[in-house]
Amino acid sequence: MPELSPAAWSAIALSFKVAAVATLWGVPVATALALLLARGRFPGKALLDGLIHLPLVLPPVVTGYALLLLLGRKGPIGAFLDQQFGIVFAFRWTGAVVAAVVMALPIIVRAIRLSIEAVDVRLEQASGTLGAGRVATFFLVTLPLSLPGILAGATLGFAKALGEFGATITFVSNIPGETRTIASAIYTASQTPDGDAEALALSAVAAVLGLIALVASELLARRARGALS
Amino acid sequence: MSKPLLLAALALGAFVTAAQAADQVRIFAAASVAPSLQKIADAYVAGKDVAVTITPAASGALAKQIEAGAPADVFVSADRKWMDYTVEKGLVDKASVFDLVGNSLVLVAAKDAAAAVDLADKAALPAALGEERLAVGEAKSVPAGAYAEEALKSLGLYDALAPRFAPAENVRVALQLVARGEAKLGIVYGTDAAAESGVAVVATFPETSHAPIVYPIGLVKGAGPAAAGFVTYLKGPEAAAVFSAAGFVKPAE
Repeated sequence: MPELSPAAWSAIALSFKVAAVATLWGVPVATALALLLARGRFPGKALLDGLIHLPLVLPPVVTGYALLLLLGRKGPIGAFLDQQFGIVFAFRWTGAVVAAVVMALPIIVRAIRLSIEAVDVRLEQASGTLGAGRVATFFLVTLPLSLPGILAGATLGFAKALGEFGATITFVSNIPGETRTIASAIYTASQTPDGDAEALALSAVAAVLGLIALVASELLARRARGALS
Repeated sequence: MSKPLLLAALALGAFVTAAQAADQVRIFAAASVAPSLQKIADAYVAGKDVAVTITPAASGALAKQIEAGAPADVFVSADRKWMDYTVEKGLVDKASVFDLVGNSLVLVAAKDAAAAVDLADKAALPAALGEERLAVGEAKSVPAGAYAEEALKSLGLYDALAPRFAPAENVRVALQLVARGEAKLGIVYGTDAAAESGVAVVATFPETSHAPIVYPIGLVKGAGPAAAGFVTYLKGPEAAAVFSAAGFVKPAE
């Protein structure tokens, strides 16, 4: 068992909390978007696809900065949320969740879109001819068939959210207990004179967690492919 | 590797090394003194075949990077602790170290929300802060954070305010947090407050509440020849004018 301080354990617990909540919010949003991209036919579809994938190709700090400009206290959306609902993201773990969702969304959308596209359209059409509406078809036909893929996407998104750093530290800083996730804790430890041992221990923990999540995701994806073939 | 590829690689390597033979002064400088150094450097290089590059960051981060072998010729730290660290590790030439400038420690707020705070009144600062956050440098690696901690402790305000800290990885970030309104108050250097138009000074920490804020400068071992020349220029009148215009003071003895 690695030697970790209480602050380090707190960072690990916070990372789990943030990643779990981010996945919980991210998966429904990603499923809706994936459905739109897989089955929808509308002008601007390529643009939507590009926008969703933007955090994947931009430097994370840029994404964090964009979040700060929009959702910060003086930003257009942030000021509105603050004045109307008293919702503030600065220095709060909820802000870390927002950053994690934005960064993990493209990955989850990709995984779910692939699994929805693998569902035979004719099954959905058959469901329609039997009298089921579009919503019923989604919940009774499409969703169950793409479930393993959705779970694979969720696991992948969880792994990504667990390791999120650049956007988080730019958007909600590095507050111990509130926004100091594993990655931020490693960063802080690496800057303290005798923090190298802790930085190394936390890095090992992060690597192991990431590996477990990735392997789980791969196994689920294989089950998805097996179930559909 | 095939012969033509090997020759091409060697030629590229030679080209790169040749390019670096032109006089270079690479300065690792504490974030708060970097802008002034940049102005001085721009004036210095005019008409000379020298390139001066400045890498700004928190002194702790820079010291660790130099320890890890980052290429630097000159190190300017925001406190003696990190300069001593590099000297002890044999990275900086002890004989070349001297105090370049000094600074003051101030309490800032966003310009549109600035109301003076009386630091002698123990209840004033916590009351002004309320449930909001106080942006400071991370005490373990950012000198400004260490000075802030020391000043608050000597004023008896540390225990009340520590839970409301928003630790930043360098002073510039702390300044931005206040300017953006994310943190209600912040503790930064006097020079930073002067440079950032979005904040206003609401109190100045008395000099007796913290160790003198000095910026030691030293030559990294193995520094190029141009480095010593630039450091000498920094002791001169042109550089002094730039420093005092930015709000730096003569270093305390």
